[in-house]
Amino acid sequence: MAISSATKAATDALAVNRAPVSVGAQEVHKWMQSFTWDFDKNRTKYSTKYKMANDTKEQFKLIAKEYARMESVKDERQFGSLQDVLTRVDAANRVHPKWNESMKVISNFLEVGEYNAIAATGMLWDSASAPEQKNGYLGQVMDEIRHTNQCGYINYYFAKQGQDAAGHNDARRTRAIGPLWKGMKRVFSDGFISGDAVECSINLQLVGEACFTNPLIVAVTEWASANGDEMTPTVFLSIETDELRHMANGYQTIVSIANDEAASKYLNTDLNNAFWTQQKYFTPVLGMMFEYGSHFKVEPWVKTWNRWVYEDWGGIWIGRLGKYGVESPASLRDAKKDAYWAHHDLFLIAYAMWPTGFFRLTLPTAEEAEWYEANYPGWYDMYGKVYEEWRARGCEDPNSGFLPLQWFAENNHPIYIDRVSQVPFCPSYCKGASTLRVLEFNGKKHSFSDPWGERMWLSEPERYECQNIFEQYEGRELSEVIAEGHGVRSDGFTLIAQPHTSKDGKLWTLDDIKKIGCVFADPLKAL
Amino acid sequence: MANIHENPNRDAWVKKIAAANTLAAGVALLTDFRAKHLSPFKTDFSLELDGQWIELKIEQKVALLKFKEFSDTQILNNNTCGTNAQIVADVVLAKMDACTDMYEAEKIHINFRLANKPPVMPVNVFLDTDRILGTKLMELRNTDYYALPLEELRKVRGVKVITLQ
Repeated sequence: MAISSATKAATDALAVNRAPVSVGAQEVHKWMQSFTWDFDKNRTKYSTKYKMANDTKEQFKLIAKEYARMESVKDERQFGSLQDVLTRVDAANRVHPKWNESMKVISNFLEVGEYNAIAATGMLWDSASAPEQKNGYLGQVMDEIRHTNQCGYINYYFAKQGQDAAGHNDARRTRAIGPLWKGMKRVFSDGFISGDAVECSINLQLVGEACFTNPLIVAVTEWASANGDEMTPTVFLSIETDELRHMANGYQTIVSIANDEAASKYLNTDLNNAFWTQQKYFTPVLGMMFEYGSHFKVEPWVKTWNRWVYEDWGGIWIGRLGKYGVESPASLRDAKKDAYWAHHDLFLIAYAMWPTGFFRLTLPTAEEAEWYEANYPGWYDMYGKVYEEWRARGCEDPNSGFLPLQWFAENNHPIYIDRVSQVPFCPSYCKGASTLRVLEFNGKKHSFSDPWGERMWLSEPERYECQNIFEQYEGRELSEVIAEGHGVRSDGFTLIAQPHTSKDGKLWTLDDIKKIGCVFADPLKAL
Repeated sequence: MANIHENPNRDAWVKKIAAANTLAAGVALLTDFRAKHLSPFKTDFSLELDGQWIELKIEQKVALLKFKEFSDTQILNNNTCGTNAQIVADVVLAKMDACTDMYEAEKIHINFRLANKPPVMPVNVFLDTDRILGTKLMELRNTDYYALPLEELRKVRGVKVITLQ
């Protein structure tokens, strides 16, 4: 009976290089390299413009069995600390309430990213042909499964051991109404798993992991510690030890296509689009979570951003890839401008739309306002005085009948949603770089907040068809939408989201929202 | 008030779908629905909120009718119209192979999906064809990506500028 070419290749390889006689990890890894089959006719299940080389190496040279031993030790330490020491000292109740809310967003959203990264790296495993490169991606698939569990566990731990479980325990049910969800899905889901397989690697590994995991997963541990959170550093630093492997995988993806002529045609365009996609969401959202979701500040977000994104990634990391023809993204300079004010603009809108969230937001205290003004001169005149007005009108009190969203309407400052990034913006009241551009295509209007996104949409409009909440719920009353979108606590009428974290403050209910009579309107209809 | 999950649009379509009792009728309903309500080039946005849910329900019905009327061999090899799926795919692949214009290429790819997305075409043929078409489309789209200024790109795409601030 004829044997398949694959079986013959394996048999021939074994004839030259017998199976290892010991279980030394490096010996096994070396043996595995001999399985470099002829992949001339190999094809991936996924579309890609690039051809990955058949002899690409990977840097970690870790076999699955060694991987499992290493990770089990890390898991023992992590879960042991959480379950034993941290539970005994009641660590979850020592977290500052504002930071407790930030972790509802950060860990729930990162869980989505990790989950999609499982699929993304599985896709890359299928797309690569070099055994070593496949082995690197295999390690990452297993990492991402582990990280998904870890992120889920953080929220489980906070919900079980800490304060205000609502939002930690079941955030995903609010995904249809929360204005931050769709943008998060754009970067953490769509960016990682749709389109060109190599472009997905660029989104995930070269930008998401090499650029934004430093500010996300490393910086978050500093902010957590400063705000009394001992759990997050325990888990997130354990995650971060794996991220180096992922950055190395991203590097090797580029190495594998460096000699493909497609790289010179497409690579820098894909990198620029991937960078803009990722930064458009992460720059404002991370800055907002750190600065407005904490009481004790570490450093201004703009400094963190400049160090990790602009200098470390845009300069050093991309610089190292220069020999393969990779250039710093042209959009990096525009992103740098946005890193100063974009998160302040976003918090203004996020606070105004608080009833649609799954977390409690808090207005800056007087002490915090001083910190903002000292680090972002001009902050008070633009934002501080607005927060004072909202507070004076009773925005935290359910009896006030005031939602900050009304302030935007009263002052004729419509809030739009960028079609490509799904990030909300208010062009008539912002200090960031957002500019309104509205196009009509086949009778439907689309709003954009920057030229990079507009070009992405003009080039492939079918990729960005996601409806935003203003289109989805136009004409519907807010409390009705919140109830339909599961935005209430287990009593069935108190909102998960609240505009304060005060223990003495009253909690808003559906009735409080209903009394206000707030109705969704699509601002594009008015144009 | 009708909500996003239960509303008159969905009720009306559930009745229409129930009335399609042959494979031919189900496929006609599906392809017509996709072209009118799910195409990126559509001009009717009346089912923006419910379109994908309705498509799912029609697809489910077509799949059941297909298994009722087709043999195992036909299910693996034929489109719902009875034509060999690979022959249908090859025609589209040849057209795409000859194509050098990105706007023409996106029409080829999108129309292929609208007409053949499973359960119309067997998955084994559809996915591989979709991969090849997608690869070519991406190559055309990403070549000289920044060649046109935005003003020109808007004109080529055929959009109307409502406001630029």
